[in-house]
Amino acid sequence: MAYLSMGEAHRRITDYLNRFSDAVFSQDGPSLKQLLSFSSNSPSLLALADALNVFQDANRLIKQSEKYSQYGEITAPLFRSLQSYRLGNLVDTYSAFEKAANAFIQEFRNWESAWALEALFVVAYEIRVLAERADKDLASNGKSPEKLKAAGSFLMKVFGVLAGKGPKRVGALYVTCQLFKIYFKLGTVHLCRSVIRSIETARIFDFEEFPKRDKVTYMYYTGRLEVFNENFPAADHKLSYALMHCNPHNEANIRMILKYLIPVKLSIGILPKDWLLEKYNLVEYRNVVQALKRGDLRLLRHALQEHEDRFLRSGVFLVLEKLELQVYQRLLKKIYIIQKQKDPSKAHQMKLEIIIKALKWLEMDMDLDEVECIVAILINKNLVKGYFAHKSKVAVLSKQDPFPKLNGKPVNS
Amino acid sequence: MATEQKAATEDVKMDLFEDDDEFEEFEINEEWEVKVEGKEVTQQWEDDWDDDDVNDDFSLQLRRELEKNTEKT
Repeated sequence: MAYLSMGEAHRRITDYLNRFSDAVFSQDGPSLKQLLSFSSNSPSLLALADALNVFQDANRLIKQSEKYSQYGEITAPLFRSLQSYRLGNLVDTYSAFEKAANAFIQEFRNWESAWALEALFVVAYEIRVLAERADKDLASNGKSPEKLKAAGSFLMKVFGVLAGKGPKRVGALYVTCQLFKIYFKLGTVHLCRSVIRSIETARIFDFEEFPKRDKVTYMYYTGRLEVFNENFPAADHKLSYALMHCNPHNEANIRMILKYLIPVKLSIGILPKDWLLEKYNLVEYRNVVQALKRGDLRLLRHALQEHEDRFLRSGVFLVLEKLELQVYQRLLKKIYIIQKQKDPSKAHQMKLEIIIKALKWLEMDMDLDEVECIVAILINKNLVKGYFAHKSKVAVLSKQDPFPKLNGKPVNS
Repeated sequence: MATEQKAATEDVKMDLFEDDDEFEEFEINEEWEVKVEGKEVTQQWEDDWDDDDVNDDFSLQLRRELEKNTEKT
């Protein structure tokens, strides 16, 4: 650090305090936002941090005048936080920032208009990101990481401040999305439920009035929740909404949406075009799609094995595993068409022996009972229309539409 | 910066608290146009793929297997 005179340090600190109270006084949200945005690492905040570490007694300055001390509850802990931040002490950074954030919320609550929403968003974002970094530090020192959970509690409080009637409600979805990020990271997604209920049952506020960036993020996370719940029509709706409204230039986010939307679409019988997998580098789905098209059970099995880790981590493995029934359906349909080309009059009688041979070719050893069981499941799920002729070991297929398409609906459960 | 190097090594240890698919933040004032219609949107998916074509390699092999089977019995 270059030499910094006491006088210069003093000047930087009073400059910040002036800008802070001026921003509040003139209700200038964008300026206030910049004063709180730690992780932007802006040169002026870093210069202030250096000044604080030289000057050491900023509290005295704050108390010197009414203009400064009015927001001392916010600025004093904010200064401590910034000092720790500059010194790389992230746990202390977080703790002091949380104090400042609590004081900020107290003030924010009393401001009638929503002018400070942008500044509040920065506080909500910073507290999450600082908590994550503090937790990394704690964990690497063998201590229990607890700050992100604390940030979640703080943001629930913020949500309560915003979620009522009035002009501040438009900010509730931003805070909700920060909460989702915390809960997904901590693996406590059940905690999303109460905020979702509050957002979705509100009669006083139309969802469409929230900002686009928050709607997209919200639909992405709630869509993922629907995937975990295996509620595929709802997951399709939410993730498709996110896909359609996402910034087309943000390819990383589009890729994440597709990572969940593709298995959902597959489960309702809709396939992604190959260029989509290529463009967003989701080639792990390519063989799964190919398996569905062909009726190739062996390929499905291999595709799931090959990317098992990836599919398990994102939680879509079970969804993909269930595609097996659709692949069976496709295989039987292929057998049916081949039989029909050979002898149209007998095509709707499918010997179980034939299915066994086809499966054996695909390296699946099954006996008559097992194959009969599979066909029974397919009939039960309305993937095959027909019945068994038990004695002759034949599945008799309906002459009309023996292999009903899903048409965008999930397989019957 | 030294802290960055430290962070990189810690990522490995912190596997427990991770979400691989954390959505990227949009800028607070980020604006963009939504393409509701258009090629991009409609040409992403195929719902009428379930055709009766059995001339692909897989189907041809399947046919051969099934015919082998009828010859034996």
